[in-house]
Formats: sequence, C-alpha cells, structure tokens
Amino acid sequence: MSTVGLFDQTITLMQKVMDLRLENQQAIASNIANADTPGYVPDHLEFDQQLQQALSNEETQSTGDTPGNPAFFPIDGAGGIEAVQPKVVKDAQQSLAGDGNGVAVDQEMVDLSKNEILYEAATKVLSKKFGLLKYVVQGGK
Amino acid sequence: MDIFQTMKIGASALQAQQVRLNTISSNLANIDTTHTPEGGPYQKKDVIFEPTTLSFDQSLQGAVQGVQVAGIVPDPAPPRLVYDPNHPDAGPNGYVKMPNVNVVEEVADMISASRAYEANVTTIKSATRMATKALEI
Repeated sequence: MSTVGLFDQTITLMQKVMDLRLENQQAIASNIANADTPGYVPDHLEFDQQLQQALSNEETQSTGDTPGNPAFFPIDGAGGIEAVQPKVVKDAQQSLAGDGNGVAVDQEMVDLSKNEILYEAATKVLSKKFGLLKYVVQGGK
Repeated sequence: MDIFQTMKIGASALQAQQVRLNTISSNLANIDTTHTPEGGPYQKKDVIFEPTTLSFDQSLQGAVQGVQVAGIVPDPAPPRLVYDPNHPDAGPNGYVKMPNVNVVEEVADMISASRAYEANVTTIKSATRMATKALEI
C-alpha cells in the first residue's frame, strides 16, 4: 500500500500485524492439532524483532536525506514493513519425553488466546484509524 | 493467505481424534471377545498419528501442518490368560486367552482424546472470532 495521502504507515503496519498474527495462529493450531503425534516438534513464529527493525528502517529513511514527504520512501521495498517475514523456530528446549512429542498444550492455548487478543487490538486500531479518516472526510460531522 | 486455514487444521485434528475415540470404544466393547474371524482373542488396536502438509500453506516452510491417521495397528502384547476350564474357548490346560485390553489404559486414553478434541474446538472458535473481528473493521 502506498503512503500517499490519507493512508499512512499505521495502516500498513496494522495490516502486516494482522497478517502475521493470522500466520501465527495457524502455526499454533498446527501444534495443538499435533499434540498427540509421536515425534512432532512444535514450531513457533517470531516476528517481533523483524517488525521492530522494519519500523526503525522506515524511520531512518524518513529522517534521512530523502525528502520529508512520506511519498518518497518505499514502504514495500526491502527492509520495509510489508517485506517482513516471520521466522520459524523449532522448539528444541522441550523435554522430549516418551514418544518424542514436544508440544505443551497449555502453553499453546495461552499463546492462542494472546495471539487472538493482539489480533483484535490491531483490528481495533485499524477501525479507529478509519473512523478518524471518515470523520475528517465528512468535514467533522 | 487463507483465513480458513486454521479451521482446516483444527478440522483435521477433530477427525483424527474422532478415529482415535472410535478405536478406543472398539477396544472397550471387545474387552471380553475371545473369538475373532482371524482366530484367537481380540487384539487391542492403536491409532498412529502423523503430520500432514497436504494443501496447506507452504510459505511457512512446513510450520503449518494438520494431522491425519497414518494407520490403525494391533497391539502385539500377549493375551491375558484367565483360568476358566468351563469356557468354550478354554485351552487344554483350562486357561482362556482374553484380549490384551486394559480398561484403565483405555479410559485414560479416552479422556486424553476428548481433551485434545476440546483443545481443537477452541482453536476453531478462536479462528472464527478473529475472522469476525476482521469483518468489523
């Protein structure tokens, strides 16, 4: 998405957060589904740092020698928010007892709820943002 | 990206756990079966699960996997011997070969299966809520 005009970085960021949370939810669901599969090693997605990095990349770009107009730096280029990919981490620390399954169902359920709440938070931010824009384009009515 | 992916994963697990529960009930139903078409007493059946990547998103490098039943295998443990010389299936020494099914084991397995089923219902519900929230933007 371009940063020109009404739609700014927050919208792109929230969009990406929703995408990543959706992928994370799939990974958690896959771990829960395989809670009884012998030899299954759970996967976890990490993207906090990558997102943090992409955000600071864009900030440096906006305060660097590029013109101050946000239209001048590519948000979807390399190092931008839209290019963030989650890192898949195999859970190696789990004690592989008995059948070699490493899934901790209770931990996964906590992660599932947490992920859902953070997804909802992103949707809330987006709808507030759109609410503000609506308010503005309607002339404050 | 498919918003219904989580539900598909959850559904695959529900199906697998259902097969497991069916197998457990078959084991419990046949706890006293001494006569089978293959000859000998009934043998306890075990369900083997395996991860599946079938038609799932490949972008996550195989992190997203459903589950499927790889097979149902008989337990090779020896039959339980019970002394009952009047039983029609008793051997020459008066011992009857009873199925190698352990009630305690089966019930524990059954609870485990229904808990796993519930956990997957929770993931499906969570996916539904998330999709609904996205529609509310």
